[in-house]
Amino acid sequence: MKSFPPYLSIFEPLFMLFALLLMWWLASHGEWVNRVFLPTPEATWQALVIGFQGGQRNDAAELGLATQLTCVRMILGWGLASLIGIALGVMIGMSEIARAWIAPTLEFLRPLPASAVLPLAISIFGLSAGMVLFVVAFGAMWPVLLATVQGLANVEPRLREVAANLQMTRWSYVKKIGLPSTLPDIISGMRLSMTISLILAVVGEMIASQAGLGQAILLAARSFRASELFAGIVLLGLIGFVSNALLASAELRLLRWQKN
Amino acid sequence: MFDMLKYLRPWVFPLVLFVAFDTYVRYVAIYSDALATPAQAVLAWWDLLWLTSDEGLMRVTLFTLLTAAMGLSIGVSLGLLCGLVLGLSPRIARMSFLSIEVLRPIPSVALIPLSMMIFGFGMRMEMSVVAFATFWPVLILTQAAVHQVEPRLLEVSKALGLNAWQRMKWIILPAMVSRLFVALRLAVSVALVVAVTVEIAANPEGMGYAMMIAQQSLDPARMIAWLLWIGVVGFAINAGALRLQKKINQRMGVNEIQAGSTA
Amino acid sequence: MALLTFDHVGIHLGGKEILSPTSFEVQQGEFVCVIGPSGCGKTTLLRAAAGFVKPSGGQVLRQGQVVTQPNREVAFVFQDYTRALLPWRTVEGNVMLALEAANMPIGQRAQRVQEVLSVVHLAEHAQKFPLQLSGGMQQRLQIARCLAQSPQILMMDEPFGALDAMTREGLQDELARLVREQGLTVLFVTHDLEEAIYLGDRIIALRSNPTAQQPSLAGTIDVSIEKPRNHLKVKEHPEFLRLRRELYFYLGHV
Repeated sequence: MKSFPPYLSIFEPLFMLFALLLMWWLASHGEWVNRVFLPTPEATWQALVIGFQGGQRNDAAELGLATQLTCVRMILGWGLASLIGIALGVMIGMSEIARAWIAPTLEFLRPLPASAVLPLAISIFGLSAGMVLFVVAFGAMWPVLLATVQGLANVEPRLREVAANLQMTRWSYVKKIGLPSTLPDIISGMRLSMTISLILAVVGEMIASQAGLGQAILLAARSFRASELFAGIVLLGLIGFVSNALLASAELRLLRWQKN
Repeated sequence: MFDMLKYLRPWVFPLVLFVAFDTYVRYVAIYSDALATPAQAVLAWWDLLWLTSDEGLMRVTLFTLLTAAMGLSIGVSLGLLCGLVLGLSPRIARMSFLSIEVLRPIPSVALIPLSMMIFGFGMRMEMSVVAFATFWPVLILTQAAVHQVEPRLLEVSKALGLNAWQRMKWIILPAMVSRLFVALRLAVSVALVVAVTVEIAANPEGMGYAMMIAQQSLDPARMIAWLLWIGVVGFAINAGALRLQKKINQRMGVNEIQAGSTA
Repeated sequence: MALLTFDHVGIHLGGKEILSPTSFEVQQGEFVCVIGPSGCGKTTLLRAAAGFVKPSGGQVLRQGQVVTQPNREVAFVFQDYTRALLPWRTVEGNVMLALEAANMPIGQRAQRVQEVLSVVHLAEHAQKFPLQLSGGMQQRLQIARCLAQSPQILMMDEPFGALDAMTREGLQDELARLVREQGLTVLFVTHDLEEAIYLGDRIIALRSNPTAQQPSLAGTIDVSIEKPRNHLKVKEHPEFLRLRRELYFYLGHV
């Protein structure tokens, strides 16, 4: 491939993106794929605009509302998951006994699909917003919980000796050495939790018919409204992107002591 | 004698939970049609095992595993290929970076309705969602694995005058094997999780669906049986993959810590 | 009463006797160096005195009390300084940890931190993070934190072993100075003969692979070179050369 002249190289990163957009435009207009499955970019954009501003139809600004609901569900669930995950993680991680007896069970639960608790949750809570929130929080809790337990088990042994030398209390140790030392792992876990929260929020909405993007795209698909479906997918991708970017920058800020 | 105790220890806590759950269902939630005792769940599992209809344990499990495997192979092969290309060509990597960052955050579940619309219900629909979900982590990890090849080895390949093909075959690919296997392990676990999720959300086949049906028919014993079985299958597959990884690491002479393989 | 008493302290590891029962004392204000080849048990001896491990035989007494667990009054300086520092706290924060643990009244803390950092010449780096400091500075920070404990005795486990020669010499002088100024008692483990003679008032020489005829304690030597010492002068001093020869002999090098 011949190299671009230097002034064009700023556009390099955009090159493939534009190429993809172009292909999308060509494919949809040229009907390489059935128009029902692949809406044009403009139609998708239109659906987005209508979704947020409202149009002539009764269901005005639906997507805007749906986005909000999904976001709230996701963030609330994630917040709960993180708090409970860290709290439980500290309780289990700080106790050698608890760790020895409980850790194997945690390892067993690690590969379990978080969505698998949905039927059980439906059994117990019925089809409700509360049920979805429970599933989101419960499913998103595990990465944080496991990261906390493992992190506390792997605190630098020297620091444990320093704490002993200084005769620090157990609680003081957790607050000043255990948790800060585990913070990188916890934040990693919290990022994974966020991804899981979004997924569970969407699936929960789909199954429990709760208002939100999950339900919106499901309904759009059922009525073959491709542009709305794509609009919803774009929005979900956006939510994923923004939430991850926010957490990534928070991670950088909190961990700036790590390397120079 | 004490050796045996060590093997029993991991089972104590689950046993305690089972007994607690059992007691709760038996004495507190007696009239509940939402819960069943673990004992009943085990019996339900046993029934499923011997069922020869479409709802039989083996058949249903096989569907999920097969579908996940097929989606996995698509996602992994594409991911490996693209990861290799991106890893070897910094220019292409630069060009694709934005596109990847835009497409990657799309949750795989968001594609379930789209897939449903295109393929209807069945294996193809589930496979494509699994393929999408497994593609990204494999892409990223493969790209990273290329970059993590020990630079000394590349210098050696230059000194030996190897051409590009030889360098790939004898130096780069073997050096990557261990990390690629970590990516594969992750992809396997993602594949299973996504497959089950698709079955729960939409596709009327497989373990996830069987579990949902059991719940809807108010058969809690069967529902819990499926839940536990899904956990067991997931655990077994992951454990098996881990064993395989250890063997491969040994064979490739890799220090476990270097390879970054986390159990 | 001696500040620290080693009463027939023996150490077994993995079925082997690393240290045969050894006894000696450390008086208040002394700078005692313990030297010996790798594997002679000197680090384990130090850790036993600090309460991190229990000796396999015998006991360590501090002011007549048996040492059973770590205590603030016995400050321990580790060889791998980076791992003994809190990377998420600043230089100031790391020293503060010792004061927090001792529940010093909050109003007095800032001043004490300043004092201690000045002693080790780290005051101008107070807001930096440990990973931004050089090796020598990190070790000084660790020493500063130990000083903040206002310890009775400073235990040092090959503190300068991981540093380059020039940094080591500089830190040796700094250590000698602050020990003199603060009137500290020090138990210093090293494998470097010259360092031991340069810093110590008294040297305990240990052998490895002790037997009945040749127990771990090879000998005790008093260093009568007067303080303050200076590298050039000391290393050419005839007493230095004599001591070095004697220690070589004790340690079986000759």
